Amino acid sequence: MSKNKNDLQINNNQAGQGTGKKSPANLLAFILLFPAVAIIILLYVQPFFASFWGSFVSKQGELGFENYAVVTDRYMQDVYFTFGVTVFSTLIATIFSILLGVYLRLSQGWLQQAVSVLYRLPIFLPFVVVAQMMRSFLAPHGILNLLLAQVNLIDIENPLQLFNWIGLSFGFVWKEGPFMVLLIVGGFQMIDNSYIEAAKSVGANLYQIITRVLIPMNKQNILVAITLVFCSYVGCFSFPYMLIGGKTPATITIDIAHRVNYFRDYGVANALGVFSYIMVSVLAIYYVLNMRKGLYE
Amino acid sequence: MNKKEVKKKNKPIVKKTIEMVLFIFFLFILFAPIFSILIWSVAIRWYWPNTMPQEIGFDYWLQALGVTKNLTLGAVNVLPAFFLSLGIAIIVVIISMLVSVPAGYALSKLKIPHILKGLILILFLLPRAFPQQPVFLNLMLLFNKVGLNGTVTGVILVHLVVGLVYAVWITTSTFNSIPPELEEAARSIGASRGRAFLKVTLPLAAPGLIASAVFVFLQSMFEFTGTFFVGLPFVTTLPMTLYSASGSNIQFASVIAILLLIPSIIFMFIIQKLLKAEYIGGISG
Repeated sequence: MSKNKNDLQINNNQAGQGTGKKSPANLLAFILLFPAVAIIILLYVQPFFASFWGSFVSKQGELGFENYAVVTDRYMQDVYFTFGVTVFSTLIATIFSILLGVYLRLSQGWLQQAVSVLYRLPIFLPFVVVAQMMRSFLAPHGILNLLLAQVNLIDIENPLQLFNWIGLSFGFVWKEGPFMVLLIVGGFQMIDNSYIEAAKSVGANLYQIITRVLIPMNKQNILVAITLVFCSYVGCFSFPYMLIGGKTPATITIDIAHRVNYFRDYGVANALGVFSYIMVSVLAIYYVLNMRKGLYE
Repeated sequence: MNKKEVKKKNKPIVKKTIEMVLFIFFLFILFAPIFSILIWSVAIRWYWPNTMPQEIGFDYWLQALGVTKNLTLGAVNVLPAFFLSLGIAIIVVIISMLVSVPAGYALSKLKIPHILKGLILILFLLPRAFPQQPVFLNLMLLFNKVGLNGTVTGVILVHLVVGLVYAVWITTSTFNSIPPELEEAARSIGASRGRAFLKVTLPLAAPGLIASAVFVFLQSMFEFTGTFFVGLPFVTTLPMTLYSASGSNIQFASVIAILLLIPSIIFMFIIQKLLKAEYIGGISG
């Protein structure tokens, strides 16, 4: 916290010495920024780094890799499970959102109008409510199974068991797919009709228009959407906890909560947390750098 | 040639049919889970494997809203939790606006050394990209030391961090969208910086700032992970009561889920026109 403050003061001084005129503005900037930056450093950055540090401290208070040994010993299946469900859900959500985005961009009529309004609904629902919806919808005695039995697609005595990776992926895609559509369709709409017409005039079919024109021209938005959704899946706690908590395999977030609630074992919980950081690291760094650039312009 | 023409004529009908079938499928996937909690919230008796409940009524609603006090339903009055959530959210909105409007203004309009500005922006992006749960866990340990764990103040602070991250971004980009010439014009005819801000920039920024406030409000109402670690078992906000009802009482949990959605549905209409797509997805609970 003090480091940033000092930096700012040094910069203030330098600017002040140079022109004398800039100094009040810099001081003002410092005063205006201080509360927000202080809160984030104290309540976010400090615990963020504490989670790295804590992952190396064993229950006996010794430094070492003991916690990581527990994770690689017992939780690797869950780490892979988290990664697998995340990749799968992100993939499905991406395909779905690109298709729906293309449909919204290229189609007209009242159906398109209706879809363009309705698809937004899940975006405004929190994961905790989505979790409850999926619990009742996907349950063995839930509406989905009852309806599938009505049309004889399944035997009601033998309902689909969906409180596992399937239900998790379904809920993830249901909740965040529409958010991806929102991000992606905005980019599609920025693409001028003339590009699509030009592609058509040289004989491009729909598939070629999508893969050669629409997707490449909207690459940035699609990548940002993938990043945000991927990171939100890895870090999502409420939904997996309420849907598959207590079952195996579980997600990393469920394991962290168990480690804390049943064992008061913060070291292993932090080591698991570091695994989830690593899982998102590449995309997270891409996102941070990309967004920062965006705000400079 | 002839065949092709026939094919072409049929195409729109086939296309429309496919579109219609997909549309119905889309409606089913979209609304069935929502319909599921709506119907469970009024289902009193629903014996498996009947497709619809045998008895429908508002017993669980009345119980949750504190109108009746029936011990056999296993549902309690959730109005205290609702008002606790509401109160926390309002305080969080006030504090985060007081803090984020000046910060956003400074980041957008004042000269800040390039590197420092970059660092600050990264600071406010980290929570968006990295999983927050391990952070809340360590915040809990920190709060343990200073006696904030299990207090409303602790929960407010957690919600503040979550909300502030978005509030600073939204206010910064809101101020960015206002041309600096306007404020400069006001100052060139003698207005002070403060007066120029209050009379020119602030009114223009109002829609974005309102969107930011609404966003922070929803974020706080829905916050789950931070409250789970810092608040439980002493501070039970509405999402926490939903979580504890979820495993045992499907009707009661459905009622709470719908209650939780009411502010969301109201604000959805306000927020969606005002806000950039980027931020809306942050509502995650």
